[in-house]
This record gives sequence, C-alpha cells and structure tokens, in this order.
Amino acid sequence: MDAGFVNAYLAAAQNVFKTMVQLDVVMGKPVLKKDKHTSGEVTGVIGFAGDKKGTFSLSFSKKGAIFIYKKMVDEDAPGVTSDVVDAIGELTNIISGQTRVHIEKLGYKLSAALPTVVVGQNVEINFITKVPVISLPFAFQAGSGPEHLFLDFSFE
Amino acid sequence: MKTLVVDDFATMRKIVKNVLRQIDITNVTEAENGRQALDILKKDGDFELIVSDWIMPEMTGIEFLKACKDDDSVKKIPFVMVTAEAQKDSVIEAIKGGVDNYIVKPFTPDKLQEAIQKAVARSRSQQ
Repeated sequence: MDAGFVNAYLAAAQNVFKTMVQLDVVMGKPVLKKDKHTSGEVTGVIGFAGDKKGTFSLSFSKKGAIFIYKKMVDEDAPGVTSDVVDAIGELTNIISGQTRVHIEKLGYKLSAALPTVVVGQNVEINFITKVPVISLPFAFQAGSGPEHLFLDFSFE
Repeated sequence: MKTLVVDDFATMRKIVKNVLRQIDITNVTEAENGRQALDILKKDGDFELIVSDWIMPEMTGIEFLKACKDDDSVKKIPFVMVTAEAQKDSVIEAIKGGVDNYIVKPFTPDKLQEAIQKAVARSRSQQ
C-alpha cells in the first residue's frame, strides 16, 4: 500500500469537512483492522475500479451522523432518518471524488461506483480486496462533546 | 430565475437550493436524475438555469448535458455541473459536452454563486 493513499484520504477528509460541514477533523493513529466490519453505526460505502480496485467506507456513530446532517443543511433530524442516511452517502461520494484526485497525482486512475449506506453496528462489508483494511480515525467536536468518524479503505 | 436542480442526493439539492436562495433564486424545481430532468424539460422548457450533478443513476449528468445541448429547445439554458468528479478527463469531457461552468464538490456557497453567475453571464453574452 502506497503511503500516499493515507495522505490522499487525510487531505480529502480535512478539505471536505472544512468546506461542506465547516468542521475541523483531526486524524488519530491509523490502524490495520482485524476484521471487515463497519467501524461505526452509520456507514457510507463506495467501491473503486481502474488501475487499483478497492473499497472505502466513511463511518459515524448515530449521534455523529445526526450532528453532521444538521451542520450540512441547517436542519434538525429526530434520529437516523432517510435524510441523514442521504447526507452520509453524499459525503462519502464527495470524499471519494476528492481522494481520487489526489490518487491520480500518484499515477493511478480510478473510477467510483454509486455509494451505499448501511445502518447498524458490526455490519460486515465486502472490501473486495485480500489486503488488510486501513482505518483512519478522526476526532471532531460535536456540540456537547467529542465524536469520532472512521475512514476505512483497502486497495490492491 | 426559473431553475432546475438535478441531483440524486436530497442533501445536495437542499444545499444548492440554500445557496440559490442567497442570490434570490427561489423558483426551483428538483429532479433526482437526468432522465427525470429531461422529462421535466420536455413538459416545460421555460427554465433559465440548470444545476446538475454528474454521477446519478438512470441517466448521468454528462448524458443529461449532451441531451440538453442536442436539443434546440433547451440548449441555450445555462448548464452548471456541480460534481465530485474532479479528475482531468471528466472536466475535459464536460467542456466538450458544452457545459457553461463546472464546480467541484466540496464548494463554499461563494464559489457556487460565482460559478452560477459566470455561467449565466457567459450564456447571455453568446445569445
């Protein structure tokens, strides 16, 4: 795995959250996941093909996802509604697009599928690849306290 | 200004509508994909602006753009592509397709407003 991939996701995530959500996200220590389950409770998933194949997911707690939705459209949601699910899907799509721009600079052309969103804990995701999944944890302030999101990806 | 906003994500349609409202564009019709947008245009071609996503099910934004630019009744409507597709090939394809302006997500409200205003001005200068 090219270390540039981590940097691509870091740059894309920080730019997208700053621009679309007006939120600073701070990356913690990357980890190699021991399983292929969702890291949070509301998770956007998108597949890639092209010079590399792989999968990327963007995962929040329910509270984090609701907070992000409110920040994006300035509307409250009573829970993880279809609107919240839609917002996480779109964020997944935007981060995917930005990341592909950075990865293109590394010499790889990728195309992406439409994102899907799964709601639930420990949902198994088919990451397609046989190599380990890298998880990038990010912290952010969500009103009453700190929250986390996870960018998980695997390319080969 | 009568505007058609096309995006499969309701969240993005809301964000675009919020930005349009800031520049006094409130007469907005929404579509979830290019096919639905074309159907709307066939029934009512009286739109003055189209703001469309690229990656959508059924009919993508680039297919929708090309269909619009091939149709004499709607080809003069300024077309702004708002998309996560920022790769060089995508930008070139949209320009070749006749897009009036192109903005990459993520964007600030100012950037989207500027892109829309430039597209409208450019379109008017060509008429």
